[in-house]
Amino acid sequence: MTRRTLTAGERGDRRFAILAASPAVLTIGALFLYPLLYAVMLSLYQMNDKLPGATQFVGLWNYAQIATDANFRQALVRTLVFSIFTVLGGVALAVGIARLLQHPFRGRNLARVLLLVPWAVPPVVNGIMWKLIFDGTYGVANSALAGLGLIGRPIQWLADPELIMGVLILSEVWKLTPFLALMTIASMQAIPSNIYRAAAIDGAGSWAQFWKVTLPNLRGTLMFLLIVQSMWSIKVFDTIYVLTGGSGGPAEATTTVNFLAYLTTFSYLDRGYGAAMSITIMGIVIATTIFWILLLGRRKEKST
Amino acid sequence: MSRTTLSTTRRSLLGAGAAAGALGLAACVPPDSTTPGGGGSDGEAQGGSALVPEDASLEGTEISILDDNTNLVFKEGLIETFQQETGIIVKNYEMANFNDLHDRFATAFAAQDASIDVVMTWAGWSAEFGQAGWLQELSPEAIPDDLIRPALDAVSWDSTVYGLPKFASVQTMFWNKEHYAAAGLDPDTAPETWDEFVEAAKATTIDGRYGYCCDMGNPAGAYQNFLRSLLLAGGELYTADWTPQLDSEAGIEGLTKMVELLHLHKAMDPASLQITNASDLIEVFSQGRTSSVFNWPFQWASATAEGAVTSAETTGNGLIPGIAVRSASIDGSEGYAISTFSTNKQAALKWLQFASGATAQKQIVEKEGWFPVSQATLEDPATLEALPVVATYEQATEHPVQRYGTPWSNELDQLLSVQVFRAMNQEAEPAEALKTAQQELLPIVEKYMG
Repeated sequence: MTRRTLTAGERGDRRFAILAASPAVLTIGALFLYPLLYAVMLSLYQMNDKLPGATQFVGLWNYAQIATDANFRQALVRTLVFSIFTVLGGVALAVGIARLLQHPFRGRNLARVLLLVPWAVPPVVNGIMWKLIFDGTYGVANSALAGLGLIGRPIQWLADPELIMGVLILSEVWKLTPFLALMTIASMQAIPSNIYRAAAIDGAGSWAQFWKVTLPNLRGTLMFLLIVQSMWSIKVFDTIYVLTGGSGGPAEATTTVNFLAYLTTFSYLDRGYGAAMSITIMGIVIATTIFWILLLGRRKEKST
Repeated sequence: MSRTTLSTTRRSLLGAGAAAGALGLAACVPPDSTTPGGGGSDGEAQGGSALVPEDASLEGTEISILDDNTNLVFKEGLIETFQQETGIIVKNYEMANFNDLHDRFATAFAAQDASIDVVMTWAGWSAEFGQAGWLQELSPEAIPDDLIRPALDAVSWDSTVYGLPKFASVQTMFWNKEHYAAAGLDPDTAPETWDEFVEAAKATTIDGRYGYCCDMGNPAGAYQNFLRSLLLAGGELYTADWTPQLDSEAGIEGLTKMVELLHLHKAMDPASLQITNASDLIEVFSQGRTSSVFNWPFQWASATAEGAVTSAETTGNGLIPGIAVRSASIDGSEGYAISTFSTNKQAALKWLQFASGATAQKQIVEKEGWFPVSQATLEDPATLEALPVVATYEQATEHPVQRYGTPWSNELDQLLSVQVFRAMNQEAEPAEALKTAQQELLPIVEKYMG
């Protein structure tokens, strides 16, 4: 293949393109690539700020430690439980809500606007709100349950390691479902109505239409939603921080992998090991993304 | 590109990946266990030589202070007084939530941020950040002579003084006299033994209100409540060579008493397991929702403030009843330290000395209800008049009062809280839970102390 010589105009265009793109490239480099590369470098060191004399290059030793770290394994299991409910539950709920809001009814537009409210609430405010709702002494949840005669004494939602994960899942689903539902509604509106008419002529009921028409046409959107929700779930931090007073407790019940990386880096000042955890989490996010692409992307290829 | 070429490329990639993996594994370099650990002597961030006060004029020098939100007196007049007395300008005085400060400090120190000159500190952070080489060591000449020892301990680690205290603090018992009287108890006398305390807590547990409440909802709270119980049972957390004693007889007995208070006697508010700081606990008592707490001295100021259900007449204060000893308590003194990266260390030192000096101490005692850090202020009759609980403080210091601030405080808090919660939730016997915590703590102490 021979290389074509660029004209003066084309060279000028190329220079302008490079010039125009350089601010964005430099910004991304400064805000993303540099920290990333620095984190990778840190992860290759034993670097605990409380042991300043012991800093040394250890190669992949930190990663080998993570593989056998029982705390990381337990945090991974918690992350998995949290993610299953927030990803699959959140997306399923979003599809259900979108389906409901597809039907014409009085006040539908208002309902669609109100749907956005949780998404507009800042994450920290969201955490505080759910903390107040489930407070064992003053919480609305206990008052409501007691008012209905369902409980005799207050439930300590935030003090019970088994219950607090449920509260965390609920607060995350409440916060993120509006975005997922909004994306799903937009995608549903893009499905041509003649497909539904054809399906109806063929005798398909609303349930069959949903399974045979709506869902297959949402596959691309669902893949996107599953990917982004998986990313958010694996990286969840702010709600845990607010709900648990920055501890990931009680009894580490809400210490997910990302929160463990935070504790390791900022509480224990073990920056080398914390960086290795962060890079590992990035690997988990990438692997999860690839999983969804392989699962849903390939099916799409087959179906087409 | 042909199919053959593609498969060859894939194989090549796989081979390259395997080779990279093998190289990676080969690149695992175990840390040199003989490398000296602590001391903060070889790191890039170093305290350097101890700070000696100089006589040079500091007129116009600017300092920035990052404090917790415990003391309002500085913002409400003491900064102005300091500026007038010294000519030093407090360019920035920021108060932040205590629970958020650690991470802010860690981030600023790790970044070698010189924009913060003075930081608030306590026993745990003095040890942690001091060992990291992030706090400026003070020379003996910079330390006032009449500081109370436990308060000075809160700004020291490993025989090195990293700051000066701003107030002293020890937990004592506060009880609601009205609740005690209503339960048929003597409202003016504190229980002297644990059994008496349990009986009083049970007697005052009525109508959904509990006789006792505490704050063990986060790792630091779990540690404090366990440590206090261990001390009350006559134990010590470490031996002289820093070997942990979590699962000692005293530790097990102390934790068992807490579990019994919650489950057997049902006299501890279950919400204790979700209360994450002393400020919330203070409100629980001041609003009359519990009959007794073991809390810091500013409980008195809150309990007697306008808006509180309690008052000076209805709030009792005394020693915490012991389990195996008459009494014991934990220390919560706070102070200020100078960042190693500060470029205004002499001016910062002036602030430290001002905060531990007579003018500031008087206001901290009278307006906020904290104990003074200087012996002279403590012995001043005006102090006792302004803060009656000072009498209890003086009694408390005759009994074991500890905090054990160490560089591994955060790791200990975290691992211990898991086991304390297991015990408090009856998922494990206290002995089993503490044995697990002990086994987890041993290698951590070994890592730092070598």
